[in-house]
Amino acid sequence: MTERDHTEDVRTDGGEPQTDGGESEGGAGLPANVPPDDQTPTWHDRKARTQGLSRLTYEYFERARYEDQVLRQESDYVERDVLAFPTWPHETIRNLAITSFFLGMMFFVAAALPPHLPDPADPSNTPPVILPDWYLYWSFGLLHLDPINPNLAILGGDKIVSDRVYGVLANLVVVGFIAIVPFLNKGSARRPVEEPFWGALGVAGIVFAITIAIVPIQNIVAEFIAIMTIDLLFALSFILPVVAFFIAYAVLKTMQEGYMYELNKRYYRLRPPR
Amino acid sequence: MADEFIKGLAILTVSGTVWFTVAAWYRTDGFGGTQLIAPRPDEDLGTYGEALLVIGDIALYFALIGAITFWVLVPAFREGRRAWDERQRAE
Repeated sequence: MTERDHTEDVRTDGGEPQTDGGESEGGAGLPANVPPDDQTPTWHDRKARTQGLSRLTYEYFERARYEDQVLRQESDYVERDVLAFPTWPHETIRNLAITSFFLGMMFFVAAALPPHLPDPADPSNTPPVILPDWYLYWSFGLLHLDPINPNLAILGGDKIVSDRVYGVLANLVVVGFIAIVPFLNKGSARRPVEEPFWGALGVAGIVFAITIAIVPIQNIVAEFIAIMTIDLLFALSFILPVVAFFIAYAVLKTMQEGYMYELNKRYYRLRPPR
Repeated sequence: MADEFIKGLAILTVSGTVWFTVAAWYRTDGFGGTQLIAPRPDEDLGTYGEALLVIGDIALYFALIGAITFWVLVPAFREGRRAWDERQRAE
């Protein structure tokens, strides 16, 4: 067996050079990893999208694709088939640098504006306004749903559950729905444009989290904004998420016409198709 | 495009940190009072204190003007010049 035969046996990758740039034979043609022609939009694609938001979306992504192509053509960096970097030393040193930076910023801000220690709590005196921390307002707002706790005529106008139980059940329903969302949608979309319904649902969820957080402080908000009554605020906290859903759905659906699904596919090779 | 973004961001964050330091030192009544934008203290600050107040003001304006320049003015100027060139070529 000669040396040449040995190297022939070892090559099992089809013999294609796995490099970007500088590998073209005789100096002609594109380097190996430049986006192939099937990702370049055809003349028909260009003509088909000529107006409005779909045109804008199309131009944005086409420009991103073109800049990526130019960068790859200019690059002399050798692309390797590497899925990740080793934990030591690469990731560890990078994480240490990031950790040190944020620790330093925290110490710096704490030293520049030292927070003061308030007086100790007085257990014999209840403050007039009791609120949880702001990031729990949404949950506190769900405990304030007594206006929509139905009184049933069948029970002679009584409520089937007390307002407290109703609020706790509302928390369970919302948290339960968030928990099953990953089972309803596997999350294979790379951008909200690819799945307008789920993108719009997410927007509605964010808006609902904000509006329901206003419910427990609605008398404070109603003082600041003259035209807001408490009833109107309560109604808006359920109407606004629906409005946001339809607006987001319409915008994403329009953008979808100009979206290139093939774009950036190589960056997400590790994620299996749905 | 990305270059202009990172230039503006670098100016905003680095210069903003300088302003934040000076403002936290000299322009803060206390944690419960006015923070960062309180009027300057009445007592004599000395040469270094006065210089720091000036540096803080310069840093604030540099941060704002620098970010606006690289994020708004430079891209707007380029877009305008490109549109102007295209119009000239069309005629």
